Amino acid sequence: MPVREGIYGLLAEFDTPTELVVAAKASYNAGYRRMDCYTPYPVEEAAEAMGFDEPKEKAVSRVCLLGGILGGLAMFTLESWISIWAYPLNIAGRGKFSWVAFIVPAYEWTILWAGLCAGFGMLALNRLPAPYHPLFNAPNFRNGATSDKFFLCLEADDPRFSVTDTRSLLESLHPVSVVEVEH
Amino acid sequence: MEMGYHENRLPADLSAPPAVLRWRLRALSIAAVFAVLSGIDLLISHRFDYVLRGWLMGLMICLSFCLGGLALLMVQWVTGGKWGLLLRRPLEAMSRTLPLVFLMFLPIAIFAKRLYIWAKVIDPQAAFRAGIIDAMQAHAIAYKRPYLNVEGFWIRGVAYFIIFGIFVYFLNRWSLQRDFDMNHGNWFWQKRFENLSGPGLVVYSLVLTGMCVDWVMSLDPTWFSSMYGFMFIVSQGYAALALAVLMVLALSQYEPIQSIFRVTEQHDLGKLLFAFVMLNIYMAFSQYLIIWSGNLPNEIRWYMDRITGGWGPIAGLDFLFHWVLPFFLLLSRDLKRNKRRLATVCCIMLFARFWDTWWLIAPNFPEDRRNLHFSMPELQYIFVPAAMVALWMAYYFTTLRTRGLVALNDPHLPEILEPEHAHA
Repeated sequence: MPVREGIYGLLAEFDTPTELVVAAKASYNAGYRRMDCYTPYPVEEAAEAMGFDEPKEKAVSRVCLLGGILGGLAMFTLESWISIWAYPLNIAGRGKFSWVAFIVPAYEWTILWAGLCAGFGMLALNRLPAPYHPLFNAPNFRNGATSDKFFLCLEADDPRFSVTDTRSLLESLHPVSVVEVEH
Repeated sequence: MEMGYHENRLPADLSAPPAVLRWRLRALSIAAVFAVLSGIDLLISHRFDYVLRGWLMGLMICLSFCLGGLALLMVQWVTGGKWGLLLRRPLEAMSRTLPLVFLMFLPIAIFAKRLYIWAKVIDPQAAFRAGIIDAMQAHAIAYKRPYLNVEGFWIRGVAYFIIFGIFVYFLNRWSLQRDFDMNHGNWFWQKRFENLSGPGLVVYSLVLTGMCVDWVMSLDPTWFSSMYGFMFIVSQGYAALALAVLMVLALSQYEPIQSIFRVTEQHDLGKLLFAFVMLNIYMAFSQYLIIWSGNLPNEIRWYMDRITGGWGPIAGLDFLFHWVLPFFLLLSRDLKRNKRRLATVCCIMLFARFWDTWWLIAPNFPEDRRNLHFSMPELQYIFVPAAMVALWMAYYFTTLRTRGLVALNDPHLPEILEPEHAHA
């Protein structure tokens, strides 16, 4: 992969989560989609402000649901296959297809695979782990993002992005600073 | 900005909105209609036994709202959380309906001989020879006589209500005292409620197990299951939570609940409903799995009575209403955050409780055992519980109006009044 060069995005720094949420909402309403919020602790409203509630953004839920369904089906099919064809056993005269007893492992697998898919699906969809991220080129981000500052980054690959207009939008939202971040 | 960044303020008047009076009138008229229908049915069919059977079903549903409300009230005192503050007054009002439920219990105790085979049969051996009961019933009734007798039924019944009455009394009284208490800090009240609620939950599980064994399980004196008490405990939480959520959703259209109602807590309550849906199926399935694995003739009979002779589809629909529908609907995050849809799920869950209680009670009686059929008196399973639950609702709306709908002097209160994104 070639080394990416040029501008990654514009990073605005805020002092409070409320200002961040207002700014994220304003940028979203202005038509920006490729953006992200960075906070020292979870701020659910920031996700909502960026349009997380839209159906296309719910990939993790779908991966989790799919994992659960496939996990449950896989175990139930495995148990049925073993008991009916591969190694049928007569246990106290009950039928070969004893679905009652199959429910418990199938349920466990539903939970297991839903959980694994949710966890690893979330990491994959977030492109994590990421050993390098351009935002760490910004000194104020390095110092503040994990302690007491709230950041909004509007990314350069958004079709609406322009170095001048985007900067003036962000500056109108009362940030502490707006800096250009290189790849 | 369309989002409000200001803090909500509590209105000066915290009492229940006038709409509650309208709901009460509606509940009373529904109760009257079904009571009349039940009376007509009785005049046509002359089967008073069926009124009692329907009455038992209605009693168990009203009991689950009342004691389920008490149990959830104790749970929210022990666990804390802002959802508890939102539900507290509606739950307290549910627990204060205990006197009405006690009155509903009296006909069951008075007419126990017409409802319970162990009360009807004085001498099991003679009844067996006369062909009224079979050998297994004769043995079970004789063996369990020290527990299953009318005097014991009365004494235990009254004792259950006294025990629950103590918890209802203190939890409600202290909660009102706390509202206007400026002398003691939060710590004092929190510990006080916790110290009563923690042991209270243990007492609740034990006493409720006794209640459902006495009132429902003993309809079939030959059968027993150690899961039975827990099944009722969980189903009470299931019913009471669905009703309480439905109530706060309805009340959230009006002040004062409107100003403390936030999507965050609604979402939490949706997740709690989901947990009860899972726990309920866990209990029901565990009992089935254990009895199915054991495969013993004296245990399996209980299920055979309830899945053969036309009852199979009823059991299947029970599973559908109780688990399949609420489970798959509540998986959705959007649904849990949508008032109207969440209210629909609550209604499905409440309907499932009616269905399940009927499925538990009706097949105990010889007319219905392994024989699902329609006859005029069978309609009492609809009329009597509907009238009783509507009456209970009317009384509930009365108790709801006796105190403010928002508990004051609670550290959660300023937090729940904050807009949802003010973290700093």
